[in-house]
Amino acid sequence: MTKPKKIALLVVLGLFLYLSLYTWNLRTGYLDDLSSRTGLDIAGWVVRPGQWVTSQAVETWERYVYLVGLREENDLLKERVRQLRLEKLKLRERARTASRLETMLGFVAPPDWKASGARVVMHRLGPTAALDTVAIDKGTLNQVFDGQPVACLDGVVGRVLKAGFSNAQVLLLTDPNSRIAVQGDLHRSQGVLVGRGENEPLEVRYMNLNSEIEAGEMLVTSGMAGIFPKGLPVARVTDVRRSDISLFLTIIAKPLVDPAGLEEVLLLTREAAAEEDHAEGE
Amino acid sequence: MRKESNNNLRALIWWIGYIIAAIWAQKLLPGVDFLVPGLVVAMQERPGGRAFLLGLVFILLQEGMGGLSFGYGIAWYGSLLVLFQFGRWLFDVRSFLFMCLLGLAMGALHPLLTVGLMSLESLRPPMDRLLVEGALQALIFPAAWWLTAQVFPEGLKVDDSPY
Repeated sequence: MTKPKKIALLVVLGLFLYLSLYTWNLRTGYLDDLSSRTGLDIAGWVVRPGQWVTSQAVETWERYVYLVGLREENDLLKERVRQLRLEKLKLRERARTASRLETMLGFVAPPDWKASGARVVMHRLGPTAALDTVAIDKGTLNQVFDGQPVACLDGVVGRVLKAGFSNAQVLLLTDPNSRIAVQGDLHRSQGVLVGRGENEPLEVRYMNLNSEIEAGEMLVTSGMAGIFPKGLPVARVTDVRRSDISLFLTIIAKPLVDPAGLEEVLLLTREAAAEEDHAEGE
Repeated sequence: MRKESNNNLRALIWWIGYIIAAIWAQKLLPGVDFLVPGLVVAMQERPGGRAFLLGLVFILLQEGMGGLSFGYGIAWYGSLLVLFQFGRWLFDVRSFLFMCLLGLAMGALHPLLTVGLMSLESLRPPMDRLLVEGALQALIFPAAWWLTAQVFPEGLKVDDSPY
């Protein structure tokens, strides 16, 4: 066999082996698991000490050195607490009424969710990080699982993409491959919120032309996909356009969360007891 | 025997230090591979089992840190190996010119490979970002290689290296 033929044969054989391995892994996920439990965890352990030092330094600065305007901020916060207390009193009464009405009408209570905190240890890392992700310091050892919803105090962050032993990657809602079922909190029109990339606004798809929605309306999770709990704030509508050539509205929304500034997140888990009750009921 | 085990330990410590530095560099500049210059230096200075093992570790690290299905690392480092072997026929593999050309090839390969693999997974690639990352990879690779080659300990090199 001549040399060019040998090289061509080697290339074809190499490609065949590579595609076989790739397809096998797509089906089984063994190699993804292996890399998550080695590469992701090692990178997490390498980055964490530096992150800890940085956060300690920032905390020290904020706590002991940066005291300018603290009194004014304290007064403002006290006023805000007073307003929130009043608001809470009103809402508690309304919640009790709603609960009574639900019981009277025979509604099945939605499952409870519990939240556990995690720190963001790193953002995208390396050439294979093509998706908008952040890594957190909790993994399968902390019962984190693929697809788990992630939020923060401002709103929805995304969901767990893959989990190592002590670290996990979260796909952010801004990634073009992220899809979240949402509805407007005022008019209850439903659609699918899609990311458009880093530092870009989000887009709501598949909302009918005759749906009611307006700029400024808050979008909350609809819970239709069964991944996110219902009612979590996600984004605020900034623009609504009606097209002559499309069956759907063109809606642009701004995420409530700033992914670049994320430091801590909440991992949401369905309460086991509620899930079991639901299963028994079925 | 003892000298060899001392050398292995020294190599292990050096490469752990290198990996830590590279991961931090990748954290500061997302999308760029800072491990690849180390692999090139390893292939130049000590080809064989150690470079192969290093390649496997780098593949696992990059695949674990990334969000795509397993496959990019093998194709990425495999292409580097092929380009390196082809380059041997035409260039002095320690020349800066060869490293610049290798950097250009790796920079062009990054968006192509990512788009190819993302389309296999039916994912939408962020084209603008990938092009910027490819350009950065092409620019940074020769400089990072030069720096790594300068700080690579003499004791870890093989005297009868074919390159």
